[in-house]
Amino acid sequence: MRVDTSPVRAAEPRKEHRDARRDHVRNRDREGDLGRDRRTAAWRDAALRTSVLIRHNTAVLLHEPGPLIGRLVMPLILLLALRPLYEAARGPSGTADAVVGSLVTFSLLALSIVGSSILSERAWRTWDRLRCTPARPAELLLGKAVPVLGVLALQQTVVLVFGALVFGMPVAAPGLLVLACTAWGLALLGIGTAAGLVVRSYGQLSAVFDIGALVLTTLGGALVPLSTLPGWVRAVSPASPGYWAADGLRHAAEGDTGRTLVCASVLLGVAAATGAVAAWRVSRGWGRALAV
Amino acid sequence: MLRTEGLVKSYGGRRVLDGFGVEVAPGEIAGLIGHNGAGKTTLVEVVSGLVRPEAGAVTVCGVDALREPRAARALLGVAPQELALYPTVTVREHLGLFAGLAGLRRAAARRAVATVAEELMLGDVLDRRCAVLSGGQRRRAQAASAMVGAPRLLLLDEPTAGADPQTRQALLTAVRARAAAGAAVLYTTHYLPELVDLDATLVVARDGRVVARGDRAALTADLPGEIRITLDPARTRPRLTDALRPRTREDGDDALRVATFDPPADLAALLSCGYAPLTVDVRRPDLDDLYAALAQPAG
Repeated sequence: MRVDTSPVRAAEPRKEHRDARRDHVRNRDREGDLGRDRRTAAWRDAALRTSVLIRHNTAVLLHEPGPLIGRLVMPLILLLALRPLYEAARGPSGTADAVVGSLVTFSLLALSIVGSSILSERAWRTWDRLRCTPARPAELLLGKAVPVLGVLALQQTVVLVFGALVFGMPVAAPGLLVLACTAWGLALLGIGTAAGLVVRSYGQLSAVFDIGALVLTTLGGALVPLSTLPGWVRAVSPASPGYWAADGLRHAAEGDTGRTLVCASVLLGVAAATGAVAAWRVSRGWGRALAV
Repeated sequence: MLRTEGLVKSYGGRRVLDGFGVEVAPGEIAGLIGHNGAGKTTLVEVVSGLVRPEAGAVTVCGVDALREPRAARALLGVAPQELALYPTVTVREHLGLFAGLAGLRRAAARRAVATVAEELMLGDVLDRRCAVLSGGQRRRAQAASAMVGAPRLLLLDEPTAGADPQTRQALLTAVRARAAAGAAVLYTTHYLPELVDLDATLVVARDGRVVARGDRAALTADLPGEIRITLDPARTRPRLTDALRPRTREDGDDALRVATFDPPADLAALLSCGYAPLTVDVRRPDLDDLYAALAQPAG
């Protein structure tokens, strides 16, 4: 019996194996490239849709400028009225308290912008129309949130610059102030979005904001100095996000990093919790709303 | 292009879709008719991804719409039954939004908006806010937002409800043009003459399922036509034959209607009974007859 032990034949299976491996690697690389290209295109499309939504929602806001102008001017008037009261109650540091109090109180009115704009979309049935497009829920929410955050940032900037330039409010750490403002803005955005998605009518939204404004401003110590309020109010005030906003902004202006970070963390926690409620509501469908 | 199979959807224990299956080919206009509650709007909501069915399959251009809803939604344009317009923005901005969401860049979106506005006679109102549009203009703006991205599948749910004849004509022309360009169109309506105008394939729904599908001639072939005679109300009515009686009904004091497959023979039978009609109208079966025969709730 002859046994063929020639090296050529013995090498053939190894060569086939090498070729197969090389083809596999090439295919994998090609598929990897295609996958990467597809992912890149998907991100590009998502970015395009989000920018379209941001532009559109900005236009919707700007077509009704009255509420925006009111929300920019009213805090300045309140600031002028409250400053003597705060200075009488707190001494020279009253100016910072008045600026912060006015900012927190009127940023709550900006909160109603996001809530009512979401509810309006539901009442107009345009939410459902948007859901028939390729836009993801996250893109729709981001498109809604960015213009409102812009309004909030503008309002906070106007109030703080006015307080600093006109009343000489001391700002020890501008960076901390930006952090505190951002955390408060995100918390407001989360609360407003959740409210706009959960309520079923403008009447319900109005009730939520009336009660919410009381809880966030008066109980939170933003509208009048906490030290002048009854003991039971001071005891429950930490339950209000307004308390953490006012406290955080005051300490940020004073340059107290530790306390500012604690307050910002609480506010970011509120933002995360209310954002989760909004996401849950979105995942179950937006629900129909009544224009009443 | 669009294919649904065995769709089931219930609300409050009632099956709104009960095995709904329909197909629409590229370039085809499928006119979906049926009484309220037949499942037409729910079908549109399922295909557009607003409602998830309990069972069944939906395929849009080969994409499984239940597994890849976003990919499927990228292929369709929807005009819901109820108006969904942003009242505070202009028609141009409204259409620009949906052009952008369909993936068109700014310049292409501007061109698409101008084209669809021209097509639907909205050119003069492009810079007006949606809130101040007339009812017909709103209907056209709604349809335009569905068509602006040149989708491969158009879902139009009663797009002409409450519309004036001018709006109706503009919409029908635009729909025909989209179909001619290769789009599949699912068109629900209660206005049956529109489907004749569109030369649509008829899909008749009843109790959440499709009970008939085909062209008008085929679907009405087995239906009776009608003879209507007017009579002198002062004269006594002669007795009808047993063959005619079950197919005859009074139409006021001075007219009779006879359902017939053979108008000359039945008219001769009426005359031989002694009827002396003042006028005679013979009508071939039409979509109203089909609707009445097929779309009535079962039972």
